[in-house]
Amino acid sequence: MRNYYKYLLILPGVLFLTIFMLVPIGMTIISTFFPNEAAADTSNYASLFRDSYFLEILWTTLRVSILTTIICMVIGFPTAYFIARMSAKMKALLLILTIFPLLTSPVVRSFSWMVIIGRNGLVNEALMGIGIIQEPLEILYTPTAVIIGLVHLFLPLTIITLVGVMESIESDLLTAAASLGASRFGVFTKVVLPLCVPGLVIGGILVFVGSFTAYTTPALLGGQQRVLSTLLYQNANTLNDWHMASILAAIMIVVTLIVITCMNLLANKLNPRR
Amino acid sequence: MSLFTLQDVTVAYQKQAILQDFNLSIGEGELVSLLGPSGCGKTTTLRLIAGFLQSKQGKFLFREKDYTKVPVNKRNFGFVFQNYALFPHMTVFDNVAFGLRQRKVSKASIKDRVLRVLDIASLKGFEERFPAALSGGQKQRVAIARALVIEPDLLLFDEPLSNLDANLRVNMRVEIRRIQQELGITTVYVSHDQEECFSISDKVAIMNKGIIEQLSDPATIYRQPKTKFVADFIGFKNFIQFDSRRQETDGIAATVQGITLTVQQQDNDTGLVGAIRPDDLRLYPLDAAPMTVENAVQGKVLISTYLGRSYQYEVKTSIGQFTVNDDAAAAPLANGQEVVLEIPKKQIVLVD
Repeated sequence: MRNYYKYLLILPGVLFLTIFMLVPIGMTIISTFFPNEAAADTSNYASLFRDSYFLEILWTTLRVSILTTIICMVIGFPTAYFIARMSAKMKALLLILTIFPLLTSPVVRSFSWMVIIGRNGLVNEALMGIGIIQEPLEILYTPTAVIIGLVHLFLPLTIITLVGVMESIESDLLTAAASLGASRFGVFTKVVLPLCVPGLVIGGILVFVGSFTAYTTPALLGGQQRVLSTLLYQNANTLNDWHMASILAAIMIVVTLIVITCMNLLANKLNPRR
Repeated sequence: MSLFTLQDVTVAYQKQAILQDFNLSIGEGELVSLLGPSGCGKTTTLRLIAGFLQSKQGKFLFREKDYTKVPVNKRNFGFVFQNYALFPHMTVFDNVAFGLRQRKVSKASIKDRVLRVLDIASLKGFEERFPAALSGGQKQRVAIARALVIEPDLLLFDEPLSNLDANLRVNMRVEIRRIQQELGITTVYVSHDQEECFSISDKVAIMNKGIIEQLSDPATIYRQPKTKFVADFIGFKNFIQFDSRRQETDGIAATVQGITLTVQQQDNDTGLVGAIRPDDLRLYPLDAAPMTVENAVQGKVLISTYLGRSYQYEVKTSIGQFTVNDDAAAAPLANGQEVVLEIPKKQIVLVD
C-alpha cells in the first residue's frame, strides 16, 4: 500500500506534461487527418510528399541537422576528452568557459555571425586581404551559415554531456587495456570509445533535435533558404494556413522519433552491457 | 638467478620522493609480497614494475634486458587491479579474450585458451555474463583469468583481495597460490594484510617510507625481524632500548638502567633494541612467583582488558611499560597489583 505513495512524486510532472504537451500534440496530429471536420483524409500528406519544394526543404533540414550533429561530435569529442583528463581546478575553469556562450541569446549570436561571415564581414575581408580569394565567399544566407550558427549553439551542450560520461570511465580500465597489450589507439577504440557511446547518443539526440527544430538561427542566417521550422512559421503566420502548419509539425515529430529510435538501436549495438 | 631487478630507482610525485635509490631483485617462479602500511611505496613499486609509472632515475632490468623505457603494452606482464578494472561493456569471455585479440591470436586458439583459463579460475558457464552480473569473488577471478590468459612473464597483484569479505579472502588467496604454483609464474603481490602475505608468499618484503626494511621468507621475518619497524609491524608490541650489550657464555647480557637481561644469541643480530611479543611474556603475582624466573622484572598492573582467550595487561616497570597477554584460565590480576614480569631469554629479539 505504502509503495503507491512514491508515484505521488512524479504526479505533478506527469500532469503537466500530459496537459501541456501530450494532449496538444495529440490534438494537433489528429487534426491533420480531418481537414474539413468530415471523414479522415490523408490526401494532404500524400500531395505534400509529391511536392518537390517541400521535399527539398525536408532534405535540407535533415542535412543541416545531421551535419551539425556530426560536426559537434567531431569537435566536441576530443575537447571533452581533453577536459575530462584535467585536474579538478582546471576542469572547472574549462567547463565554465565552455558554457559561457550559452549566456548570450541565440538572436545575439546569430547577428554576430552575420557580421563575421557576411559579404563584407570579417572572414571575407581577411581572406581577400591575404589574397586567398578574389571575390567574397557567399556564406551568409546559405545552409553552411545555418550549420555554423547551430554548431556554435550546440557545441557547449555536446561537450558538457561528453565530459560527464568520460569522467565516469575509471582510469584503471585504460591502464588495464594497455597492460593487456593494447596500443594507445587500441585503448581508445576498444575501451574509451565504446564506453562513451551513451554520452554520444544523448549528446547526438540533443544536438539533432535542437537543430532540427531550431528557428532563430535558420531564420536569421538562412536567408531565402527555408527549413521545416521556418516553413511552418511561414504557413502559420504569413499564409495563415494552420492546417499545413499542423501537418509540418506532425512530420517533424515523427522524424524526430524515428531518429531517436535509430540512435538508441545503434547505441545498444555498440555498447551491449545489459 | 633473478628474473628482474630494480636498480637504484627513484620515483617522485611533485618533488616528493616516493622511492629513493630503491633496489629489488626477484627470482624466477617466486611469489614475493610487498607488505607495508599505506604510503610506504609498495603500490608505487608495483606500478613501476608494470610500466604504469616512469622512474626519474635508475634502471629496470628484466631477464638482463633493459626494460626501463619499454611501454606498458609491450611488457607482457599480467596486472590484477584492486578494483578488478573489468571492461563493463564486454562479456566475461571478451574481457578474458582482450589480451589475446591484441596479440592477433587466431579465433579458434582464442576460444581454446579462454575456455581453459576460465576452467582454471572455476568460471565455467559464465562466459556470456557481463561484469555487472557477477559477484565480487567472480569479478576477481575474471580479473585473474584475464591476466593469466596472455601467459605473462610476470604476474602483478595490487591488493586484489581487499574488496572481498573475510571468508572469500581466505579462499581466494589459496586459489591464487594454487594457480601461481601450478603455472609457475613469477608473481609480485602487494598487500597491507600481514596474514595474507605470509600465507601466500615465498618471500615477503616489508616496506616502510620507500625502502625495504627486510626481505626474507615469512618464517624468518616472523621469528627474526631485523629492524624495530618490522618487529612492530608483525606484532612485537614491547620494546626495550638497551644501553649496552656484551657477549657472555650463556648469551648476550644487555643492560638498561642498571638492570641486566640475558638474551639468547640469535643469528648475528647487532641491535640494541629488544623486541618481545605480548604472548611471550609471563606475569606472576609478587608473592606467588616461582624461584626460577628468567629475566625477572618487578612491576605493577595498570590496566587489564579481557580479550576472550586471554587477558591483556598493561604493566609498568622500572624499564618501561609492557603489554602482556596472559592465559584467561589463570586467576585474573587486579589493577594496581604488584607483579613479577618474566621475559624469557629465547623470546627477546635484538633489532636495529
